[in-house]
Amino acid sequence: MRKTITFIVTKDCQLACKYCYLIGKNNKERMSWDVAKQAIDYILSHEDDFQDEGIIWDFIGGEPFLEIDLIDKICDYLKEQMFTRNHHWFNDYMFSFTTNGLNYQSEKLQKYIAKNIDHLSITITIDGTERKHDLNRIYKGSGKGSYKDVVKNIPLWLKQFPTVGTKITISREDIPYIKESVMHVYGLGITDVHINCVFEDVFKDGDDLLFEEQVEALADEIIDNGYYKDHVCSFFDESIGKPLDPVKRNNNWCGAGRMLSIDAAGNFYPCTRFAQYSLRDKKAWIIGNVNDGIDRNKLRPFLLLDRCTQSPQKCIDCEVASGCAWCQGENYDAAEIPTLYQRATAICKMHKAQVRANNYYWNKLYRKLELEGLREEFEENRPVSNQEIC
Amino acid sequence: MLQYLIILLDDTSTSYCHYSPSQSQHQLIALADLKAGIRFAMKENLMIQYVYPACDLPQEYKETIETIDHSKIIPSNSPMVEEADVVVFNNWKDAVGFSFDESATYVLRICKEDLFAQKEVIGTFISKVARLNIVLIDVETFTENDFSRYKSVLDSFGKETEKLYKAGMSPQLNVITDRIALSQMNNCNAGSNNITLAPDGRFYICPAFYYSAEDKETFCVGDLQSGLAIKAAKLYKLAYAPLCRICDAYQCKRCVWINRKMTFDITTPSHEQCVLAHLERNTSRRVLESVRKEKEFYPEQDIKEIDYLDPFDVRIDWHKI
Amino acid sequence: MEKKKVGIVTADERDEIQKLFRRHSGLADLAKIVTADNDELYEKVVNDLGDTNTRFQDWWNKKGEKYNWESAENGRWQINFDTCEIYLVIQ
Repeated sequence: MRKTITFIVTKDCQLACKYCYLIGKNNKERMSWDVAKQAIDYILSHEDDFQDEGIIWDFIGGEPFLEIDLIDKICDYLKEQMFTRNHHWFNDYMFSFTTNGLNYQSEKLQKYIAKNIDHLSITITIDGTERKHDLNRIYKGSGKGSYKDVVKNIPLWLKQFPTVGTKITISREDIPYIKESVMHVYGLGITDVHINCVFEDVFKDGDDLLFEEQVEALADEIIDNGYYKDHVCSFFDESIGKPLDPVKRNNNWCGAGRMLSIDAAGNFYPCTRFAQYSLRDKKAWIIGNVNDGIDRNKLRPFLLLDRCTQSPQKCIDCEVASGCAWCQGENYDAAEIPTLYQRATAICKMHKAQVRANNYYWNKLYRKLELEGLREEFEENRPVSNQEIC
Repeated sequence: MLQYLIILLDDTSTSYCHYSPSQSQHQLIALADLKAGIRFAMKENLMIQYVYPACDLPQEYKETIETIDHSKIIPSNSPMVEEADVVVFNNWKDAVGFSFDESATYVLRICKEDLFAQKEVIGTFISKVARLNIVLIDVETFTENDFSRYKSVLDSFGKETEKLYKAGMSPQLNVITDRIALSQMNNCNAGSNNITLAPDGRFYICPAFYYSAEDKETFCVGDLQSGLAIKAAKLYKLAYAPLCRICDAYQCKRCVWINRKMTFDITTPSHEQCVLAHLERNTSRRVLESVRKEKEFYPEQDIKEIDYLDPFDVRIDWHKI
Repeated sequence: MEKKKVGIVTADERDEIQKLFRRHSGLADLAKIVTADNDELYEKVVNDLGDTNTRFQDWWNKKGEKYNWESAENGRWQINFDTCEIYLVIQ
């Protein structure tokens, strides 16, 4: 298992995406080299507290690549320090980025990529068709859509990282464009699409039916055009929509508390979603800082989380519970009191709609494959996702 | 199920627990609110515990207080201390030379350094009272070294209670004898078993939250006009405390206020709270075994030998399953 | 290029070679930023690269001997870290 440690290098971004959960973005909180170095020195000098086999050094913003000089310096320092300290992570590390892709072809970024390509995971977010992408992913200030400026960078990105995937986020306004968006992304040459509804309480009555209609249409498109053979879409997964045993399948969904995020002030968080700029109604959950280290008491609630304790009875009894995700940060933000132990269920109807469309997909696909005598071949060669998802 | 209503009669009402009141100005609960609180308790079948300040109360308050069955928690320096069901010492020195009533219950609120330094003096109180509750007021500051010192204090108190048990007496010292007698969790249960009415006429999970500048509003759970509305009410119950529900340090207070302060989550105890409770549990076990060598003693009780002090260290890690 | 499955190794054996592979990859990236004027570090990296290369080759030699995989003059073996399968790749 790899641990994920995230540097929140800046809270600035060129875009002001409408669904972005980072409500406190600003251009003032930029990480300094001193803070980054202190964080690295603290983490690497406490190897006993970080025993995970490998490490994903993750960089997030805002838009992380706005701070490419700092990132480059951090990565060089990390490589050198992991080696000179004989740290076990030197044998298994990655640098990971989720970017809006706007600066992708910049000279500095390309130089950085060339230097680190074997240890890089870069995800460019492209939200689908131009109209779907530009519905949400708009420039700060002008409100202009960013699709054209991102899509021109996709070919180079795919050339450098041929097996990468992208992440599509579905908010209320996006529902009518789901099918066209996934197909569009496939058309760009991206074969692995992770797609999910936002966890926030934004969906209204009837949205689930429209959503189901879209995902069902997407299922038809994928099956009828043979994309199922070598493309992946996270909406369709056989493990989704089954009841979960309250004893044997009681694990928490989310990895918050097993990760670490560091912000520009040098504060540590159990996940970026617990930093103040991500929270609407609650105070930041700070678990320490680069000077004092980690306060383990502040991590205990995270490490004790299981599915049933935080779930309402309707979720424990749910016949289609598997695959129903939650974000620990959103649970905390939406809870009636400051607690991790009150699961938000705003996506309940959307999950159930997805389950119905997912069931439709597999029933249709397997029937087709059986009639064609190709089911066994499919089972042996079914495509798998490369993405590590939150 | 709610059983108790704690009424703070004044902003300077004594603490009888881990928290320290932040108010120094007297501000009595409005008489109308006191009466409304009593009516509320009557309708909800709640037993009232009045918490007194160090000063005297107006006559009309005294008369109102007596209109319902109740118990009184009174600081040792109050002129009304003789009426107390529970006397609170906010300093160990106040207990020295105090004329103890051997049928009464006493609370000694004390910091760790005083406890470590005065264990011999405090040990002498055990035989003089019906019940002594020792309440640490600085749990959050305990270090590994402090745990060792606390163990030594408990050993000392253990010897004293053991001696009294062997002499045929029934001493009650919360940190040792409670666990010997208990067969299930007996925690504070603020928010599920009891609730507090503060001098501002509003309900709080417990007095500590009323005095918390940061958490006062969050843990205010209603008022006398609109009634009680405990948000996320089930989370105050043992079943939703992931560590405590599998724990057998039954005497632990399971203080949700310390939980909130130290782990940010009311459901989860801190390392310090767990270790202290387990040191107490283990001392109880040793006393139980020792007394049993001489006579039949709680024959049904079984406190198992365990090799951890913090149940967090032996938790189920779902992530690895 | 021709690619053919010729065998499989255990998960533990896969872990050994994967660790060496990743170390080699880390050293190669580190070598890009360590300049010769940082004598001590430069020497340490170069020595480690040599050592890792040797251990890497040893692994293939030993496993090739143990499992007696098919080989070819213009071929080399390749491992799929996900499946532990060994392939013969002929240029």
